[in-house]
Amino acid sequence: MTAVALRAVAALLVLTAAPFVATAQPPPGGPPPAPQTARQSAALDLTGQWVAIVNEDWRWRMVTPPKGDYASVPLNAEGRRVADTWEPAKDGACEAYGAAGLMRMPTRLRVSWDGDETLKVETDAGQQTRMLSFKPAAATAPHSLQGASRAEWVRPQAAPGGPGLVAAGGGGGRAGGYLKVTTTNLSPGWLRRNGVPYSENASLTEYFDRFKAPNGDEWLMVTAIVDDPIYLNTRFVTSSHFKREPAGGKWNPKPCGAQ
Amino acid sequence: MRNFSSRNALGIVALAAALWIAPAAAQLNLVGYWNPLFHEDVDERIPGPSIGDYLGLPINAAARLRAESWDASLLSMPEHQCKPHPSTYGFRGVGVLRIWEDRDESTQQLITIHTHIAWQEQHREIWMDGRAHPPEYAPHTWQGFSTGHWEGDVLVVETTHLKAGWIRRNGLPLSDRATMTDRFHRYGDVLTHVSIVSDPVYLTEPLVKTNGFMLSPNGTMTPYPCEPVVEIVRAPGAVPHYLPGQNPFTADFAKTYGLPPEAARGGAATALPEFLESLR
Repeated sequence: MTAVALRAVAALLVLTAAPFVATAQPPPGGPPPAPQTARQSAALDLTGQWVAIVNEDWRWRMVTPPKGDYASVPLNAEGRRVADTWEPAKDGACEAYGAAGLMRMPTRLRVSWDGDETLKVETDAGQQTRMLSFKPAAATAPHSLQGASRAEWVRPQAAPGGPGLVAAGGGGGRAGGYLKVTTTNLSPGWLRRNGVPYSENASLTEYFDRFKAPNGDEWLMVTAIVDDPIYLNTRFVTSSHFKREPAGGKWNPKPCGAQ
Repeated sequence: MRNFSSRNALGIVALAAALWIAPAAAQLNLVGYWNPLFHEDVDERIPGPSIGDYLGLPINAAARLRAESWDASLLSMPEHQCKPHPSTYGFRGVGVLRIWEDRDESTQQLITIHTHIAWQEQHREIWMDGRAHPPEYAPHTWQGFSTGHWEGDVLVVETTHLKAGWIRRNGLPLSDRATMTDRFHRYGDVLTHVSIVSDPVYLTEPLVKTNGFMLSPNGTMTPYPCEPVVEIVRAPGAVPHYLPGQNPFTADFAKTYGLPPEAARGGAATALPEFLESLR
């Protein structure tokens, strides 16, 4: 066997072993590794200020659409009946700022850590705060506008450090995975500002993700799936995108409440 | 080791290489049939956008001028009847999306990812083998030339060599200098497609759009043959259009929906939360 071939074998064995070494358990008898907090084990960095770029569904998101305009929302007959009871006098009511509708609002987000196990998402539109907890919520949590949100990091299934796990060109990129958030215990709210309803039985599944555009802009994307056995025929799926802004950027808090 | 030949060594190298390749293959499986979800921008995507609806789009004055000269009757001309959407728009159109792979039979390395959208048979090849884009003088096509790579388990695609197309099918143009980065993010049976389109001719900043598909385990796709016919007999050389300032329909959209005309005219500022307040 030639020296070149031996070196090639050795190099490849080292390479193939690397992912397993990286995830190896500590030697028997050694101290167990300290459990990492959600903050320490973050798959991506979502913190900072982000502004909604409303270039989709503009006339349903930026302004209040007319009564009965629920195009593209898979409402069932009961959902349409309830939507048709909305009146313009209710415009601006806090029901429009519940978790299942909030991320579609023309808003800025401030995302920060509240301790090591909860991500806090604040909006200036409607002045709402969502708490995305990495700890299980109490089964008896009361229903509320923002409900109870359970967060978990989801990582790619390929071996850590394996080929192709390339960072997305900057800190906090997508290579590490994304955030999945499941929200229940919601009080009734609206999917759109004109009273398109979701019920207290609705659940919201969201995927928070990040990417970097070729011009260097950083983006936060939220894919949201609303399930509601009371008012929807099928899942309602939307994706909203937010551009990163410098700290201290525009922030225009306005409380919700019918005008 | 005395009997350990170079051939044995090469065998181990091949085996190790195969083991090394395996994780890459597990990154993300996009293969299958995906049904478009029309829960967003339904007006634009199903019946088609209104004339004069540029809400939220980062267009410049040249794009607006071109759009206002556009006459929908153009689509009745034989030369225009069978045009597919360019890849910069097709993922927002109608039609089932099918994705499949080509792999080298010996190494199982991924060579190409194909995307095919039913309407007008929009077939795109995404080269995953590390090849370079062709020189600038190479032909431009509806789908362009695309290369892909993985960022984690996200497929990221770079596209150049596009024909002049559109960003909305109400006449808003895209030039043949446009480029696109698009991304495929899979969350279980939901696929979120992100397109980032740059155009130094008609956009003031990149246009970022996101929209969804749902996996269809038993999906099918029907052919979409298209054969142009003469629908309207026209004088030779006649092309439907409006001269600048003469399109009678551009203000109808804002009036119909009670929207500020300034918003309907588009521009990057119209996508920001504070836009409406700026009008007061």
